[in-house]
Formats: sequence, C-alpha cells, structure tokens
Amino acid sequence: MDIFTSMQISSSALSAQRTRLNVISSNLANVGTTRTPEGGPYRKRQVVFQSSNESFAKHLDNASKQGIQGVKVAEIQVSQAPLRTVYEPGHPDADETGMVHLPNINTMEEMVDMMNATRTYEANASAIQASKRMALKALEIGR
Amino acid sequence: MPIDGMFDRTVGVLGKVLDLRNRSQQIISSNLANIDTPGYTPSRLRFEEDLQQALDDKSQAAAPRHAKHFDITGGSLEQVSGRVERLANNNGLGDQNGVDLDQEMVTQAENQIYYEAATQMLNKKLGLLKYVIQSDR
Repeated sequence: MDIFTSMQISSSALSAQRTRLNVISSNLANVGTTRTPEGGPYRKRQVVFQSSNESFAKHLDNASKQGIQGVKVAEIQVSQAPLRTVYEPGHPDADETGMVHLPNINTMEEMVDMMNATRTYEANASAIQASKRMALKALEIGR
Repeated sequence: MPIDGMFDRTVGVLGKVLDLRNRSQQIISSNLANIDTPGYTPSRLRFEEDLQQALDDKSQAAAPRHAKHFDITGGSLEQVSGRVERLANNNGLGDQNGVDLDQEMVTQAENQIYYEAATQMLNKKLGLLKYVIQSDR
C-alpha cells in the first residue's frame, strides 16, 4: 500500500488539465488567425481525455487496486466544425466573393472551458493536499 | 485477533482503518482525476460493514493449524479489504461520466477527518503505553 499513489493519480490529472489549458490558450490566441503553416485559417484544437494505466505492470497491479486510475491526454484533436465566414472584401485573405474564412473558435466556449479546467485543476490540487496531510499525520504516529 | 505483546486489539483495528482510508483516498483521487474523461464510472470503497462484522466476530477464529491451510472462517480483521463499488451514472448529461465533484469533495473531507481521528487515537494509545513504561521514574 503506497501512500504516494493517490498523489501520483492527482498529479496526472494536474498535468492533463494543464495541457488542456495550454490548448485553450492557443485557441484564444489564434481566434483571428487566417494563415497557418498547413494553409487556411487556424482550426480549433480540443483535448481528449482517457483514463490511464500506463504499463503492463500497472494493469497487473489493478487486480489488487481496482477502481484506481489516473488520467492522460489521449490526443489533441483538430475540430472539424465549419469555419466562420464574414464578409470583408478588404481583407488580404478574402476570396473572390469577398468572404473571409475565420477560425471555428467560439470565444465564449473557450472561456467556459477555461473556467472548467481551472476548477478541475483546483479540485485535484486539493486532493493532493488531502493526501499529503494524511501522509504527514501518519508520520506523527508514535511521536 | 491475537494480542501481539503489548498492543491490544484496538491498535490492530486502527491500523486496518488507516490502510483502508488510504485506499479510499486513492479511489477518490482517481475519481477526481477523471472528472473530464468521457465514459468514466466513479468508484467508492466500502468497508464499514465488513469491518463491523469482523469486530462483532467474537468467536476469535482459531489461527490455521498449518501455514498452508487457508483460513475459511472469514470475517477476521486481517481479511477486511473493502469492496470497490461502482457508482451509478445518472447525471443525464450524456457524456457517460458519473463523477459528482461536490460528492467527491465531501467524501474526501470525511475520509481525511476519519483518517486523522484514527491517527490521533493511535497516538493516544501509544502515549498511554509510553506513560506506563516511564511511570517508574
């Protein structure tokens, strides 16, 4: 029975949520980007989470530790939602009809996602606090 | 529950409780970590009834007579390991993720407080022993 297991689980969540926040920042930063290396406007990225048991040893371990799983970012998906189009004939990237394709990013959605990521991060940070306190209390036994 | 030297049954029970609460905390961490994972079903460790049963078992099951014999009496304190229960998924949001943040935070606080209570009681127990040992001075 390892007292650090729960902290490792929570830390996997912290790094997953941090990755998510990075992706959200990238989306917000590129909300008006019409030129990307791969051509065309920027497309919204979104993270996909997956519960993780990284190694075979961990799978084996699970027989005795059922119910315990960390989390990891399975992939960063490029959103295939349709791009926004606005009529702006003066824009250098406007097509012949004067329409400009803008990234398929909804700022409000990103803000909500960002708050969600922050709160989840906090919840997991408090789980680490709790585990840590428990471990410290155990060290005080017999003092 | 055999009495090991100067430690009585309570010390054994408290040790077991610490173990189980620690495991419970791992499961809560796991639920919190997967709060955004689609399709994740949260779990919960239940051991109170098993522990109670083990404590009620006054028969003091005899230890196996041979090291390779299995103890079939069941219900002894060492054997309590709790059951991992899957919680129902009914938030109705359609992401098939059943983690309830508030519920998890409350359970976590509760678990932590019980853990600290158990460590305090252990400390008191050990303190008493220490007092007795030193009372000759």
